[in-house]
Amino acid sequence: MNCEKIAELLPDYLQEGLRVDQRKVVEGHLEGCVECREIAGIWKKLALIPEEQPSAEGRVRFEAMLQAYQTGRGSEGATRRTERKGASMWSVLQWLRSPVGAVAWSIVLVALGTYFGLQLGNAKSSSQQDLAAMHTELTNMRQMVALSMLQQQSASQRLEGVTWTRREEQLDPQVLSALMHTLRYDPSVDVRLAALDALSRHAGQPQVKKTVVDALQEQQSPLVQVALIDQLVEWRDAEAAPRLQQLRQTPNLNPTVRQRADWAISKLN
Amino acid sequence: MYAGAVRWPRENDPRMHSVTDEELMLQVRDGAGETLGVLFERYHAPLYNFYTKLTGDRALSEDLVQEVFLRILRHRQTFRDGTPFRAWIYQIARNARIDHFRKSRPQVPFEPEMAATVTPGDPAQQRQESELLHKALMELPEEKRELLVLCRFQELPYEDVARLVGCGVATVKVRIHRAMQELREIFHQLQAAPAGSAQRAAAHNLPPRRMT
Repeated sequence: MNCEKIAELLPDYLQEGLRVDQRKVVEGHLEGCVECREIAGIWKKLALIPEEQPSAEGRVRFEAMLQAYQTGRGSEGATRRTERKGASMWSVLQWLRSPVGAVAWSIVLVALGTYFGLQLGNAKSSSQQDLAAMHTELTNMRQMVALSMLQQQSASQRLEGVTWTRREEQLDPQVLSALMHTLRYDPSVDVRLAALDALSRHAGQPQVKKTVVDALQEQQSPLVQVALIDQLVEWRDAEAAPRLQQLRQTPNLNPTVRQRADWAISKLN
Repeated sequence: MYAGAVRWPRENDPRMHSVTDEELMLQVRDGAGETLGVLFERYHAPLYNFYTKLTGDRALSEDLVQEVFLRILRHRQTFRDGTPFRAWIYQIARNARIDHFRKSRPQVPFEPEMAATVTPGDPAQQRQESELLHKALMELPEEKRELLVLCRFQELPYEDVARLVGCGVATVKVRIHRAMQELREIFHQLQAAPAGSAQRAAAHNLPPRRMT
């Protein structure tokens, strides 16, 4: 067997993933071929490169970060843990039973009716336009679902609401404003983080950047603060630098957050 | 701001031995943040080695490991039941590095003294060979080096690596073979002229495109 054929087997041979008969074929080839034998030899010798041990400081930093996270969550953790079980599907079902859900359902049914009506009527000339109209209607419906879910009692439903907003390229001003409100005031860290992720796609809207900068001072959770700082660096928002300076001078600021703010200031200046 | 020391389960806690990474991550996702400590114990050294082999920069590698665990907390809601944790964490690790290099171009060259931490008692020739091999690895183009590090040092199956880099398993195998061929050539060149050539640090290579 030539090198080209062996090349197909060699990677599996190296990871010891070949059947016995295939392995024998490769080994037979290796005996007579210097190049392939050297490749196999180098693969083995790579194990000689020593593993490095990370410093003990890494663990200390991790523990500080985890502690900051736990502090930020406070009592929220316990309630959330019980709430999560099967939350996703159940929350959607619950929502569909609510009055707003019922309205949304009717819109879906009307939209579907229109669609099939068009198909049956074979109205080819206007179908493009109608399909576009239906698309807009579905978009509106999804945004309404998002808006309604963002106002629910349970954190998992609000999280679901944030997820709905991510399906849209363009957000309705009302939904955008609800998302910004969620980022600033939602009691759940998870929901606030998800809202920030969702908002990060809408940096083009001037209000979004302002909200993120304003949220820096208001947030109590170090995890959210770090996420906000990262977002500002990602946006290269130089105007945020003075606000970050202000943040880092806050008394009793979490050390991880202060470190992150320093890093961000150096990036933005 | 701190409310006393938080105690979380440790890897050496016998109750943790039989728990899979996926089960632990599901607990983290559902609010038991303290369980992340066990995953940190399991993964921080392998991740650190993943980064040092890719960047040759210890301090940066430490920072990136922290970044990975921070991202796990931030994005824990995206972890789905049935996802292999190992592949998931390396996806995060890859993205963290790519994002880092997107924000600032690499500045630190490969540190030649890095390979000096060989266990005492190694025969001199073997040590010299491993140092040379390490240099050769650092001279491989970024994408090839990453593939080798994932498959050889992190021992990820080809299937997982294929998913990570966004190509087919057959392609990964072809690329691994090519990477090994190139590594062999560089290794030979270094053996012929060991001094000076390691100056061409691998850091000038840009990281691969981020998977979205």
